[in-house]
Amino acid sequence: MIYRENGQFKTSYAADQQIFPIRQDRIAILALLIFAGVGVPLFADEYLFRAILIPFLILSLAALGVNLLVGYCGQITLGAGAFMAVGAYAAYNFLIRVDGMPMLIAVLLGGVVAALVGIVFGVPSLRVRGLYLAVATLAAQFFWDWAFLRIRWFTNYSSSGSVSVAELDFFGWRIETPVEKYLLCLGLLILFALVAKNLTRGAIGRQWMAIRDMDVAAEVIGIRPMYAKLSAFAVSSFYLGVAGALWGFVHLGSWEPAAFSIDRSFQLLFMVIIGGLGSIMGSFFGAAFIVVLPIFLNQFLPWLGGLVGVTISTAAVSHAEFMIFGALIIFFLIVEPHGLARLWSTGKEKLRLWPFPH
Amino acid sequence: MGRQIGEVILDLKNISLSFGGVKALSDISFDVREHEIRAIIGPNGAGKSSMLNVINGVYRPQQGEIVLRGEHFANMTPARAARAGIARTFQNLALFKGMTVLDNIMAGRNLQMRANLFQQAIWFGPARREELAHRAKVEEIIDFLEIQHIRKVPVGRLPYGLQKRVDLGRALAMEPQILLLDEPMAGMNVEEKQDMCRFILDINDQFGTTIVLIEHDMGVVMDISDRVVVLDYGRKIGDGAPDEVRANPDVIRAYLGTSN
Amino acid sequence: MAFFIETLIGGLMAGMLYSLVALGFVLIFKASGVFNFAQGALVLFAALAMARFAEWLPAWFGIESLALANVLAFLITIAIMFVAALLIERLVLRYLVNQEGATLLMATLGIAYFLEGFGQTVFGSDIYKIDVGMPKDPVLILENVFEGGILINKEDFIAAVIAATLVTLLTLFFQKTATGRALRAVADDHQAAQSIGIPLNRIWVIVWCVAGVVALVAGIIWGSKLGVQFSLATVALRALPVVILGGLTSVPGAIIGGLIIGVGEKLSEVYLGPSIGGGIEIWFAYVLALVFLLFRPQGLFGEKIIDRV
Repeated sequence: MIYRENGQFKTSYAADQQIFPIRQDRIAILALLIFAGVGVPLFADEYLFRAILIPFLILSLAALGVNLLVGYCGQITLGAGAFMAVGAYAAYNFLIRVDGMPMLIAVLLGGVVAALVGIVFGVPSLRVRGLYLAVATLAAQFFWDWAFLRIRWFTNYSSSGSVSVAELDFFGWRIETPVEKYLLCLGLLILFALVAKNLTRGAIGRQWMAIRDMDVAAEVIGIRPMYAKLSAFAVSSFYLGVAGALWGFVHLGSWEPAAFSIDRSFQLLFMVIIGGLGSIMGSFFGAAFIVVLPIFLNQFLPWLGGLVGVTISTAAVSHAEFMIFGALIIFFLIVEPHGLARLWSTGKEKLRLWPFPH
Repeated sequence: MGRQIGEVILDLKNISLSFGGVKALSDISFDVREHEIRAIIGPNGAGKSSMLNVINGVYRPQQGEIVLRGEHFANMTPARAARAGIARTFQNLALFKGMTVLDNIMAGRNLQMRANLFQQAIWFGPARREELAHRAKVEEIIDFLEIQHIRKVPVGRLPYGLQKRVDLGRALAMEPQILLLDEPMAGMNVEEKQDMCRFILDINDQFGTTIVLIEHDMGVVMDISDRVVVLDYGRKIGDGAPDEVRANPDVIRAYLGTSN
Repeated sequence: MAFFIETLIGGLMAGMLYSLVALGFVLIFKASGVFNFAQGALVLFAALAMARFAEWLPAWFGIESLALANVLAFLITIAIMFVAALLIERLVLRYLVNQEGATLLMATLGIAYFLEGFGQTVFGSDIYKIDVGMPKDPVLILENVFEGGILINKEDFIAAVIAATLVTLLTLFFQKTATGRALRAVADDHQAAQSIGIPLNRIWVIVWCVAGVVALVAGIIWGSKLGVQFSLATVALRALPVVILGGLTSVPGAIIGGLIIGVGEKLSEVYLGPSIGGGIEIWFAYVLALVFLLFRPQGLFGEKIIDRV
């Protein structure tokens, strides 16, 4: 079928406001979802689930959260990892301290706690912007790094400082196999991606973008900066909190504060830059890219070294990773500030007109 | 003309504004009547934009007060002004560049939208109904301004003249009682100026909106406005009907800049 | 009392080093509006280059004298920092003129990652020593004023003096020389500066180069104290609150902010630390800066911004 929207006329505003107004897109996305829900579990092996798919799903959720705040509301954050940590530790504490707490509820409550903490650390955004705000969010990062390391209550006085969740119980269904974990993450991701899309295409999304693009004008048309900014912080932190809880519970199983260090924050920021600021789709692209790239380099660089007769150590690969990430960030900021998502939509534009050049 | 000029709706009393010792406005008073087109003119640097910024609370004057429909505002803020029914456009285009034309104008209706965050997250239900109702309203404005063909285009990609129209559309979406226009015709060619004049007159006529507009180009303003205030170096040097103002020797001196 | 003063002096000396790193930030921000997150990576990179060349040169050319090896390594590193500045301008900044602050910040984050990876690829990733002959032994002073005297680390003292000298030199450079004037003009308004014939690109290379040299000095001081290792890159993160406190555009702000943070950290660690657990100095500085921001968003000496519409 040719990718074309000729003959698809919109006769109501409702039809015009769909998430995917073009019929071919709707078919494609449906096929993708069926493939992700049914096809992938059939063929993927354990390594694929553990090393790529589950991290991809969870980090996509986190990247969505960062994108809502940075890409849509324009409030830069360098402390995303801290909110993941808050979500993870809050969920952990709900799970162990409340009798009979279902795992999923604990995860969501972790998100709620992260949202509240996000509001508190979002307060500086009302007074300062841009660069100063970036530094303010670093305060959150360092504070929570310290708190989860030093305040023993959070880790339930565990002697090693690391905490673990032994079993995942999804309302009576025990989640043990990688496939089950994958499906749990997939379900949550689809749900929250839909919510994110709803928010960004509606009134609150317009308020966020208005604040991002021109805050003085936003105020003049009656948008309250406090509500817009703090709601963006809250929603973003909720996503990060849920992602953090999943990262701890489902992906890692047992973890230390270092799992949510400042490097994680930077990684999330890179995802949304490379994927595309202000694009839901971009968050997925970015997460996929950043999850896959190191794995690819780990395979590819030693192979490349083997070709020319040089042994490439793991350390060298990790340094190369740093360099490539750095270079890519700069490349995207200069060449395509809207990231992979824009490349994707440009491609679609071209396809629409194909085979005609204009 | 279907409109009837009414009572004083906006009264500015003894407004003085300075930036760190530099006087931008000194002791300026004037009033605006309901349904009229009121122009503020003056050479560059006369304090016109500052005046507009004071009216909708972007700047806070050191002295003076604003009386809006009998209500006294000692310190106006942009939020209060918006709620009180004052909308404005900007001289240097303050549009939301990353958003489409449609979204820009829809954003102008945020004060009327009531669905809360959770309803919006679910989308189906109140949020969607509200969205559709306001969309219909916004489409009326889009039709009125003749910008149907660009409604899905991000405003950052539009030419200047069209951006000016979107700016006007966003202000209209608020259904304001008072519309402040900051140099609506600056930087336009003759045709665009004519279009803009037509829009201003139509808004005033069809919706009965009171309009306060700033221009430094005297010609057009004199044709469309009911009364004119003239500022020069932050002082008021003239106030009255266009013809009166045109005959005022102080005004002539300010504009022609005679040597004495 | 003596102990308090000892803590205070320790804080002031640490603060002087923060000032030095903060100065790197301020220089670049003033001249290009770039909030340079890569300053820490510059410190690491410069220190690595310095440490390795001081080690390699004697091995390659059989140089016996430690001082000569150090001087040569120092000069080579300066040359490297110059090339780095040139490349950063050519390959990155040139394409990002007039972009928003946040974009530039993220670009410098990219530069930081690249430099960290590149530096470790070329120079290795172990812990290296920089030995520039700093005295290690502490001395007692003011024994006749306070009982038991005040213990001062000679190394810290020399470091503080070097930092202070550099800060003074840079201030003079900014205020008194033609290049300094051009820098200030560029800081005020890029386009206006360009229109009167100030070459923007060259100015940027100069500030990044100066920031590189500042980073080198900071790297040497820190490196000789703690060894050259990856953690040097995080020094910049500790200097960030300083810049916030002092105001992004103010040289005196960087200095005084550094001192305040240095003293604040030491005092809080010593007096608050025992009651709420150790290791608080890193976030304490941030929270201090944050609270301060809420009351004075432009920092101690920053200029007030008036929004125009």
